[in-house]
Amino acid sequence: MDEKELKNIANLAKLNIEDSEVSSMLNDFSRIVQYVDEIKNLDTTSVGDDEIYEQIFYELRKDLAENGLKRDDLAKIAPSYENGYVVVPKVIET
Amino acid sequence: MKDLIFLTYSEIKTKLNDGSLKSTDLVSAYINRIEGTDSKVKAFLELNKDRILKQAEESDGRRKSGKLLSEFDGIPIGIKDNICITGEITSCSSKILENFRSPYDATVIQRLKDKGFVFFPRLNMDEFAMGSSTENSAYQTTRNPFDTNRIPGGSSGGSAAAVAASMLPVSLGSDTGGSIRQPAALCGIWGLKPTYGRVSRYGLVAYASSLDQIGPFSNDLQGISDLLEIISGLDHKDQTTAKVNPFEANSISSIDWKGKRIGVMKAEEFNFSPDVNKRYADILNELKSKGATLVPLDFSLLKYAIPVYYLIATAECSSNLSRFDGIRYGLRKEGAGKLEDLYSESRTAGFGPEVKRRILLGTFSLSSGYYDAYYGKAQKARVLIRKQYAEFFKSVDIIFQPTSPTTAFKVGEKTKDPIQMYQADILTTSVNLSGVPAISCPAGLDSSGLPIGLQITSSHFDETKLLSYAKSVSELEICKLALPTEIT
Repeated sequence: MDEKELKNIANLAKLNIEDSEVSSMLNDFSRIVQYVDEIKNLDTTSVGDDEIYEQIFYELRKDLAENGLKRDDLAKIAPSYENGYVVVPKVIET
Repeated sequence: MKDLIFLTYSEIKTKLNDGSLKSTDLVSAYINRIEGTDSKVKAFLELNKDRILKQAEESDGRRKSGKLLSEFDGIPIGIKDNICITGEITSCSSKILENFRSPYDATVIQRLKDKGFVFFPRLNMDEFAMGSSTENSAYQTTRNPFDTNRIPGGSSGGSAAAVAASMLPVSLGSDTGGSIRQPAALCGIWGLKPTYGRVSRYGLVAYASSLDQIGPFSNDLQGISDLLEIISGLDHKDQTTAKVNPFEANSISSIDWKGKRIGVMKAEEFNFSPDVNKRYADILNELKSKGATLVPLDFSLLKYAIPVYYLIATAECSSNLSRFDGIRYGLRKEGAGKLEDLYSESRTAGFGPEVKRRILLGTFSLSSGYYDAYYGKAQKARVLIRKQYAEFFKSVDIIFQPTSPTTAFKVGEKTKDPIQMYQADILTTSVNLSGVPAISCPAGLDSSGLPIGLQITSSHFDETKLLSYAKSVSELEICKLALPTEIT
């Protein structure tokens, strides 16, 4: 893992990394990756792709309409809200 | 009469129902205790006295008019800061949800409300439940009531410390890799992670959805079984809740050790702290003398449990936490010119270092070129761990292990080294990966007066057996301990 790769991952995760943080983050990150690399020593060839999803006794609910959260309640928790809409910075250039 | 705050959960329940105790008197006693003690323990992020007392008064009113909601009406319960209660702040101990007031109740909260419980919300935790010491809270570090220079464990450290410091009799936490059992062990109380699918996760802020499970802490075992009965069961708001026989608290009874096959760790595998090793060996010897058969199990897969856990949990967290983007709720960093910048500036300002570290690891293991080697491989390794437990339960009735490799460590001792911190979960993560239930039972004190925990694990959905063994453990003299009365 190098600085370029770290910044690429951070960009995918929508996190900014300050230049002053890069070296300590790279250090932590390489150690963690080295640690989880241990699983490469485990032979998993006996496990089929279809076994990954556990058998659970799922019960589907009835397909009925129910009241969900009210628009007014959602307006109260939104950082910026006007006329029934959440306000965001301009997305499309005109 | 015994000071109200030192009553056990069972004593409280009895006294409320025989009319010798009022909920308001009990709740006032706890509020006094919190006001006098929590400056040292730092378990609570908030204490809304008026709201709490009002709930207790309503309960006493119902009792007076004979309109009790249940035999639990008026019992106080603490709630971890990641379980939603309508109108209350649910911050997950994060800056990104500092002002978030939940517009709805978690299913577990709704079920407790229906029974008349009195809520003490906002127990401190590691931010988004990511940590093993409660030092990753954005607000404060909770302290261990047995020694306030030490950590209470994590991530549900506030929920565990509040009960251990006699500030509450019971509380709820969440357990993704050990976050109920490890702090229960380090604080000398009971803590249960139910079978995955037993308890609805609706309204629990998600960290790793395939591992998370809500569970109770209590100062006695009755509190654990009562709460499990109340909060568990099918919920159409959480599709991963299972259609199985409901758990019934009155199905628990002590077991006869004679002939029971107890799965244990091989002597060469338990290289934990000397006091933990000794207590574990002493407990096993006692069970043997009572006629149980000890069956050494091959836990060699265990060394992969933490890497597998961190790959799966962080992958799920990188996906779950993508909802915190500054748009619909939570922190928005104003001044960002473009939408993309609003996302990244809000997230960068709102998340703490460990949360960022885990989001980055999860994003990495899911990213193109690494997926097969990390996330895909971890998924397959998880299947092997799950099969290993199924294999164990073909040859044993139950599994006994220490809960934590050490007793409570000092504040700051492991914060510099994430790997060392992750190792604190060595005995608990494999349980989440396989989905089985496990409980941490108090198992006496070590030579420095710090609590030791014993982890008992049973097969899927067999909480009746699990808690019956726990009941028998609670009767062993070697496991008894007293919670601290004075917190210094």
